[in-house]
Amino acid sequence: MNLIAELEKLLSGLHADLPGVSSLAGLDELQTVYLGRKGALARLMGRLPELSPADRPAFGKAANAVKEEMVSLFAQRRKVYQTQAEDAGLARFDPSLPGRLPGQGTLHPVTLVMEEICRILVNLGFETVNGPEVETDFNNFQALNFPPDHPARDMQDTFFVREGVVMRTHTSPMQVRAMLEKGKPPVAVIAPGKVYRRDSDMTHSPMFHQIEGLLVDENVSLAHLRGTLTFFLRELFGPQVKVRFRPSFFPFTEPSLEVDMSCILCKGTGQRVIGRGGKEPCRVCKSSGWLEILGAGMVDPAVFTAVGFDPECSGFAFGLGVERVAMLKYGIDDLRNFFESDLRFLKQFI
Amino acid sequence: MLISLNWLREFIPFSGDAAELGGKLTMAGLEVEDISRPYAALRPIVTGLVVTCAKHPQADKLSVCRVDVGDEVLDIVCGAPNVAAGQKVAVVRAGSTLPTGLAVKKAKLRGAPSNGMICSEFELGLSDEHEGILVLPDSAVAGSSVFDALGLDDEILDISITPNRGDCLSVLGIAREAAALLRLPLRLPDFERHTHGADARAELSLETDHGLAPLYHGLVIENVKNAPSPGRLRYRLNAVGMRPISNVVDATNYVMLELGQPLHAFDLDRITDRTIRVRAADPGETLVTLDGKKRLLEASDITIRDGRGAVGLGGMMGGLNSEILPETRRVFLESAVFNPFNIRKTARRLNLHSEATFRFERGVDQGGATYALERAAHLLAGLSGGHVRPGLIKDHGRPRRKKRITLRRGFAQARIGTSVGMDDSFYEETLKSLGCEVEDISGGLREGEKNPAECWIVTPPSWRYDLTREVDLVEEVVRLYGVDRIPAALPGIARNLESAGLPETKTAFISRVKHWARGASLNEIITYSFTGSKDLEFLGLDASDAISLQNPLSDDLNVLRPHLAPGLLGALRNNLAQGAPFARLFETAAAFAADPSSETGASEQTRLGLILHGERRFRPWPDAAGDLDYSDIKGLIEHLMHFLSLPEADFVRAESLPWLSPAVDILLGAEKIGYVGRVKREIADRYLARKEVWSAEIDLDLLQTLHKKSGILFKSLPIFPPARRDITFIAPPGLRADSIRKTIEEIKGPMEIEARLIDCFEPQGKDERNLTFRLTFRRADRTLKDAEADKQRELIAEAVQKTLSVRM
Repeated sequence: MNLIAELEKLLSGLHADLPGVSSLAGLDELQTVYLGRKGALARLMGRLPELSPADRPAFGKAANAVKEEMVSLFAQRRKVYQTQAEDAGLARFDPSLPGRLPGQGTLHPVTLVMEEICRILVNLGFETVNGPEVETDFNNFQALNFPPDHPARDMQDTFFVREGVVMRTHTSPMQVRAMLEKGKPPVAVIAPGKVYRRDSDMTHSPMFHQIEGLLVDENVSLAHLRGTLTFFLRELFGPQVKVRFRPSFFPFTEPSLEVDMSCILCKGTGQRVIGRGGKEPCRVCKSSGWLEILGAGMVDPAVFTAVGFDPECSGFAFGLGVERVAMLKYGIDDLRNFFESDLRFLKQFI
Repeated sequence: MLISLNWLREFIPFSGDAAELGGKLTMAGLEVEDISRPYAALRPIVTGLVVTCAKHPQADKLSVCRVDVGDEVLDIVCGAPNVAAGQKVAVVRAGSTLPTGLAVKKAKLRGAPSNGMICSEFELGLSDEHEGILVLPDSAVAGSSVFDALGLDDEILDISITPNRGDCLSVLGIAREAAALLRLPLRLPDFERHTHGADARAELSLETDHGLAPLYHGLVIENVKNAPSPGRLRYRLNAVGMRPISNVVDATNYVMLELGQPLHAFDLDRITDRTIRVRAADPGETLVTLDGKKRLLEASDITIRDGRGAVGLGGMMGGLNSEILPETRRVFLESAVFNPFNIRKTARRLNLHSEATFRFERGVDQGGATYALERAAHLLAGLSGGHVRPGLIKDHGRPRRKKRITLRRGFAQARIGTSVGMDDSFYEETLKSLGCEVEDISGGLREGEKNPAECWIVTPPSWRYDLTREVDLVEEVVRLYGVDRIPAALPGIARNLESAGLPETKTAFISRVKHWARGASLNEIITYSFTGSKDLEFLGLDASDAISLQNPLSDDLNVLRPHLAPGLLGALRNNLAQGAPFARLFETAAAFAADPSSETGASEQTRLGLILHGERRFRPWPDAAGDLDYSDIKGLIEHLMHFLSLPEADFVRAESLPWLSPAVDILLGAEKIGYVGRVKREIADRYLARKEVWSAEIDLDLLQTLHKKSGILFKSLPIFPPARRDITFIAPPGLRADSIRKTIEEIKGPMEIEARLIDCFEPQGKDERNLTFRLTFRRADRTLKDAEADKQRELIAEAVQKTLSVRM
């Protein structure tokens, strides 16, 4: 005997050893020495059979008390060391170091604009359709009232694939395809896509993007065309945009209209303020205050006849160039940027 | 087209300026693109009176002049031979600048002071004439601007004329529009019609093919003296972009610009056989045209012929053999209307486009041909000192029948969507102001018509070839009413039950794929659908299989790409040339293939193209270094399959793609959805890539079809915990890692088994791989015991070693 005295010796031994420990690792080591499976306390408790059965409960009780005390001592110490270690880590923590990027891709500005335009028009009730870029002369021209050998064909420089087959020069053949497919009114479609013209310079690309719109229904009027396109342009460029409709000519609409909107740079004044009180002519609208943005018109009866609709049908159609809208919206000044795939350009359009 | 405002004022009493008129024309469909004052630079140049003019004492060719310029008298030394006292001349004072940009300074010429310059037409920018000084009319007042003295205070409108408005290709045409818009009276220029001599019809007879030339008229002018035209006419032609040549040519051009009728002058004495025939060319015959070129003719060309053969290409250009020469005395002046389709065909074939062909293609007014002929003949006679012979030589087919068009008020109102400010009299007055005859047939003259009280019969004027249908008349009414006055209304687009629940559109599907790609840190590019046949051949493809363009912009863009690869590689090169350390690009676009079953001979497959190259990390720190490789591109494709709820794809070595090595087919079940591979070294080199280039193309059309069939299916969560064991096999190099996985997962039993590769180690110097899989076992009905898991692992070890040539 005296095992209980040994227990107390063990406890005071721990009290003596603890101040000598200087790290969390040392503490772990010491904890194993005292409280481990084969540690000092366990060894002492293993000697229980040495005691008479009458003494055993007292020893057990004392051993438990000592264990609790030891566990609590280690816990207190651990807390101190953990706090110290954490504080030491905090001192080294540098919030200014760069983060690890998950990687951010980008969409092409043409895609961004095209999706926005489609969203506006789909919300108005139009349905999106797609079609081929290599197109028949019939769909691209003849059904749209461009007779063979007619000066109107000079309006669009055409790439020819073979006799009667062209690269579509506009998305308008989708009007023909949509009407042929639906068979009868109502038809309310938009057709986004690539188009091709044999033209390449600062302001023309041989490939670009258009969105076509077509509504054929009962009693569709010019008033509806004005309403739809005004609504559309305000959604796209903001409620302050003014819209102007001018008569023009497209073979597949009658009347045909050019739609201008107030210049977004000079707000339709034709002049830009530079410096204090100084003014210069607006280069975007060439001082006119207006920008051509859409071509539109009431569907020509010849088109209805070509697709087997009643020529007394009513409907309107419109089309716009996507790159032009993107240039205006984002202030892009060179068309060539769109097709050069330069990441320094692409990464600006998140 | 350039239109002089002063010229226009000879037709309409318009007192406003060009900006005011331009605004009105633009809003009526004649877009005014620019307004200029071609002679504005002449404003500071003053009229001077040469008071004295004496020979320079020191120089033979110089004269010393005293010139009164109103507020002072200047000493000017002049080198022109024609300077003389009493002349009114154009003077630039020292210190001013000539329109040509030359600064005039005070100088002493061989001792004589000179404080200005007396100008020639060349120095004023009026013509190439620099031999002598310009002598102004006597009426010019010393001290006033030459601008006024020469009538040069003009504004020029540049108007864009749409192809349907051939009638507007003249001063007269624009004047008609302006008169209708401004409700001004229109007056035609008046001129003296003196004729002299015997009837010219005795000189010449006509035989005309009316299909080719519905109208062919001519007049004979005699005693012509070929000379330069007077200044006023030349300056006006110059201002609207027409180069003055000589009085004969200038007169025809002047009247063409004024009235829209192209005219042609032949030397009458060079026409043999006293007969002019207008007929189709004999295929294979040749004609040397005025420009000296020998033209090989076809049956669709219109020829003007005499006894010898062709003397002109009708509507296009005269022949050298009937050209007006300096010694020409007798002129046959032609005013004809030719068939637009023949003109267009010939003009395109010979690439011979002129002011005349432009007008003939768009339709010349038959009703105005005679007036224009007389106007030109008398102008020519006046300019050249000759006279017009009486007798109009003419031949024409039946005059074009006038179109009578019914216009229903109700129809027009429904198309326009308003009737505000558009009563019956507005319709009638508008159409009449455009030259239409309007006949009111209200009162139920027509049976079966819903609204007889609101009908008109409208007969458009002869010059309006574009007005043939009711809608054309509606456009005219709207145009003059002002489209901007129509109220705006939103249409109610009818939805029906059939349009509910339709499958996702192609646009929407592609849009989702694009957004996935953006999320997967890819940058979208758009590249040309065309590429060069040489580029395809460089990739090892047969360019003759690709669809080619008949009229490409260049040989670099002459075929439609059968794969997205040329565009993807080009985009990579552009970025590497800019020093980009890496590129992860994607494009969705059509790949084109020949397809005899298609009506266009082409089929289009929408594809997703990927190209990866360079560093994997986005930042040098803290991302780990390393280059993008096969696992990166494959991971993207696996991720896309997952995103679209599609099953895992199989990746199988392929032989078929000449620019990729290795090339791998991507299979989804039995369907090949695309390919992936590494661009061959020598090809990558050409595109500036120094590291591996990995590229993939996936058929989005097929993917969408497969995607439509797939969907999310919920699987209940397991109740009992799994047991896990690792197992390593040593495999020969050719063995696919997933063949081990599949073998494991196919083992049948009460346990669910999943095997996942967790390590792939290639010991140095050994031609084999150690593949470690983590096995996950699970039972649906109870927790597994350790011993059961150990036993299952043994079973797997046996089974795999039996099936595949691997060892443990």
